[in-house]
Amino acid sequence: MRALLSWLREFVDVPGTAEEVARLMSLRGFAVEAIEPFGPGDTVIDFEVTANRPDCMSMAGMAREVAAAHGLRLRTPGPPPAAARPPRTPARVRRKGPAVLDIVIENPGLCPRYVGAVADVEVGPSPPWMQTRLQAAGIRPINNIVDVTNYVMVEMGQPMHAFDHARLAGAEIRIRTARPGETLRTLDGQPRTLSPDMLAIADAERATAVAGVMGGGDSEVTPATKTIVLESAYFDPLSIRRTSKTLGLKTDASMRFERGADPGCPAAAMARALELIERIGAGRGRGALIDRYPKRMKPVVLRLRRERIAGLLGCPIPDRDVKRILDRLGFTLGVVAGGWRVVVPSRRVDVTREVDLIEEVARHYGFDRLPTTFPALTAAAPPIDPRIARARHLRELLTAAGFFEAVTFGFVAERAAAPFAAGGDLVPIANPLSELFAVLRPSLLPGLVDAVAHNRRREQRDIRLFEIGARFTQRGGERLALACVWTGAAAPEHWSGTGRPVDFFDAKAVVERVGQALGAEVRTTPSQEPWLAPGRSAAVMANGARAGVVGQLADTLVDAHGLPRSDAVYAVELDLDALAPLAGRVVRVEPLPRYPSVTRDISILIDDTLPASDVRRTIGGAAPPTLVQVAEFDRYQGKGISPGKVSLSLRLTFRSSDRTLTDGEVQSAMDDVLAALKEAHGAVQR
Amino acid sequence: MPDPAVGTAIETLRADFRARLAAAATDRDLKALDDAFLSRRSGSVTALLKQVASVPAEARREFGQLVNALKTEIESALDDKRTEVAATRPPAGAVDVSLASRQVPAGRVHPLMRVRQDVEDIFARMGYEILEGPEVEDDYHNFEALNMPPEHPARDMQDTLYLGVPIPGGIWGAHRSTGARGASSEIAGRGRVPEAQVRAATLLRTHTSAMQIRYMKTFPPPVRLIVPGRVYRRDNLDLSHTPMFQQFEGLVVGRGVTLADLKGTFEAMLRELFGDVKIRLRPSFFPYTEPSAEVDISCQGCGGAGCPTCKHTGWLEILGSGMVHPAVFEAVGYDADEVTGFAFGLGMERVAMLKYGVDDIRLFYENDIRFLEQFPL
Ligand SMILES: [Zn+2]
Repeated sequence: MRALLSWLREFVDVPGTAEEVARLMSLRGFAVEAIEPFGPGDTVIDFEVTANRPDCMSMAGMAREVAAAHGLRLRTPGPPPAAARPPRTPARVRRKGPAVLDIVIENPGLCPRYVGAVADVEVGPSPPWMQTRLQAAGIRPINNIVDVTNYVMVEMGQPMHAFDHARLAGAEIRIRTARPGETLRTLDGQPRTLSPDMLAIADAERATAVAGVMGGGDSEVTPATKTIVLESAYFDPLSIRRTSKTLGLKTDASMRFERGADPGCPAAAMARALELIERIGAGRGRGALIDRYPKRMKPVVLRLRRERIAGLLGCPIPDRDVKRILDRLGFTLGVVAGGWRVVVPSRRVDVTREVDLIEEVARHYGFDRLPTTFPALTAAAPPIDPRIARARHLRELLTAAGFFEAVTFGFVAERAAAPFAAGGDLVPIANPLSELFAVLRPSLLPGLVDAVAHNRRREQRDIRLFEIGARFTQRGGERLALACVWTGAAAPEHWSGTGRPVDFFDAKAVVERVGQALGAEVRTTPSQEPWLAPGRSAAVMANGARAGVVGQLADTLVDAHGLPRSDAVYAVELDLDALAPLAGRVVRVEPLPRYPSVTRDISILIDDTLPASDVRRTIGGAAPPTLVQVAEFDRYQGKGISPGKVSLSLRLTFRSSDRTLTDGEVQSAMDDVLAALKEAHGAVQR
Repeated sequence: MPDPAVGTAIETLRADFRARLAAAATDRDLKALDDAFLSRRSGSVTALLKQVASVPAEARREFGQLVNALKTEIESALDDKRTEVAATRPPAGAVDVSLASRQVPAGRVHPLMRVRQDVEDIFARMGYEILEGPEVEDDYHNFEALNMPPEHPARDMQDTLYLGVPIPGGIWGAHRSTGARGASSEIAGRGRVPEAQVRAATLLRTHTSAMQIRYMKTFPPPVRLIVPGRVYRRDNLDLSHTPMFQQFEGLVVGRGVTLADLKGTFEAMLRELFGDVKIRLRPSFFPYTEPSAEVDISCQGCGGAGCPTCKHTGWLEILGSGMVHPAVFEAVGYDADEVTGFAFGLGMERVAMLKYGVDDIRLFYENDIRFLEQFPL
């Protein structure tokens, strides 16, 4: 609401500068967006009016708040000072005449009140003072008649409309819903097709205005207009909102009506408009004002309990302050046991409950004057959400492992998402902002790989990123996931020559570390994902079920994200919701070993396609329970090894909990192991 | 009697040697000294000795003695210094400790998550439950139950992103499925099993307030809850807007919870987060709170005097809050005459921008390592 300071001062003798008024009003609920100089020695204060306060979308409404905030009286403005010259009565205006208008409300649910009047006018420019005030309010002056309707809207908050009487068929105003397919050209020149749930202002034949939103071009007031019909009505807010939304048409009128105009205002506004028309010499009303108000709205009456005020605000507010504040805001108070009976003025559509009154009291009493206390703790807090606790744990673990945490958007371009969506299971956004945000992410990886590309373009070569967040599919819904990407060095370059680029086994180690941290045993099994490089892709299994993937990004994906082919990018993605139920292992300490262990190394020649896990399984099956660990420590192909074969060296550790193992029993175990390896895999000892 | 000029030459040489010896620290320095003074071909002492022929016969003997004494002195001083230098040589296998270390790469927690953890910790200490909720929601929980029936004007304040198809929402509160609650429940007999999953989500939540409804419909008062998480709005990317951002929802409900309690809670929380700041409440409007208040903190950039950061007001808006609207209590089945409460929403980006001096919100979502590594380990 753009309020011209000099106009405001017509309502209330507010002291101080615009800045001082702005500061106080922002503490009373009206944030100030701007203070602008306007004309010689005047200022516009642009108040932000919250959606619940349509009554303050007017000078009178803002002035009432300013008066209450400053503890001052509010005046009803008379004629503006510049208008104090004797009104000129246009020569051709007929003083008296028959009421040449009939008003019928067909749908009182959508239009509870309609006030109409006829005036004979001479259309011309409005006086400069009126034009200035409209301009200050952000409204373009048009002609004296339209300007008067806009002036009354800005002054009193009541949107009005003027029709050219001569262009209304049958000298009648009919407020009805639109007929199916009924069309109308609105004042902005656009043809509009109305639907039967929209309220129209019609004459005897057709719609001439979209009620409460915009008038029609055919009944527009023009310089040739001699007689006008003025409209001052109250429309159902929801209906106006729907119509305005459907038509995509937001106007000063619709904004006020959809938030809730004052049903008590139309007649007063009409009187004011006629008064102004006469005072600026634009014409004169003819006949009586017609007020159709079939079902008068009853004022809202609320009980305000003294004890409730203190209960909500944290301290009692003196009775005299309660009375003073509500009285200045236009509420009528009657004393009852324990508090007051309060009649709400019809303009205050936001006040429907006791708590709304308490807010009014608190607002003008000043939040700053309320005490500062602390809520009493009456129950112990339940433990933190394990999902949050796990995320925090993983964050510590992964940052310590060199990963930077990334946060990327929950939606991605469809093209980026598609490779990650099994069977095209994507969740589209119905009203996306742009193609870049068209679908919910089925994986955290498209966003993370984009972040890698962003960093790669900024001279970073060694990049490790992770993210914890939701991903979405139609079938699986929303699931919490962890993803990591890693490119460049596993060990950074160093003068000692220990630098090393990242490979699959670095990524696999991340998976295993996360599994350990979550208390879930994870394994990797070969599995080809379309977005991972052939042969460098594995599924992560936890408790027999698939819980994620690990591997090197496929060239197609590397290309798609604008990364150089030479960059090997490894990626991990794990479903944290799937891993969660496996967590929570209870810690039970094992006794420490009392007897020494014995290690034996073997090197075997096997087919190079034989998974190491098969070798380990065979060893485990053949060895006695004293075998406690098997680990590969060398793998060699090349000179001296025939093609298709690989030399695999393993270290076996034996230990018993109740005795020292003898060479003999270890040797016998090794014999069994080698025999089994030969039997199962044709392994040859080297 | 020696020629005084000769005596001066010897003394000059000695002084020169002493000075250079004092500055010598390495074998290389000593070798250079040896060459300079004693070298057979170019040593300055050797050169002096060669001048003996030009010395008058009667002074030759003394001259020779003096120069030889100098030579011996230099030799012995060099030997001493060599021993000294040898003693300072690092032992066998010594390393050059000034060489670059072998770096163990260290990542960083994202600044928004640092803020999130800080705020979680502050509220955990105040006895709040910390809970996550689903990011996809239905209209009822995101709007309707929060006193925003269909076509409520306040829905315009949050431009919503809708899903093309309804999907199951995320799991929440699964760990609370036993419904067990502390013995001090003020209102007994309300324990219910959480509906652990949103069945048919149709929109991306515009605020974490949706969890207020899920929580209160499931658990009886008293409530002391913080819900951190991502929220979505149909906003274009610019200096201060992103279509996704991070929020905390706070909710406190119980007997006798007041607006004064809200003030006290924010004061404690914001002071812990930002240091010694002043706070101020301004009346505002949210459909699900009444009274509603925007909370400002005093601008640390200018100490309240006014600067561009605070648009010359001395104050910075930090969160939106208010007393829970009775209509919300009615929607969840709480008795609005029995309990009162306050709720608030705090943006993590806003906190991070003020706390770390970030002036472009997009930096949080670019994940530029040069930005991320500015935050301490
Ligand atoms: Zn400042």
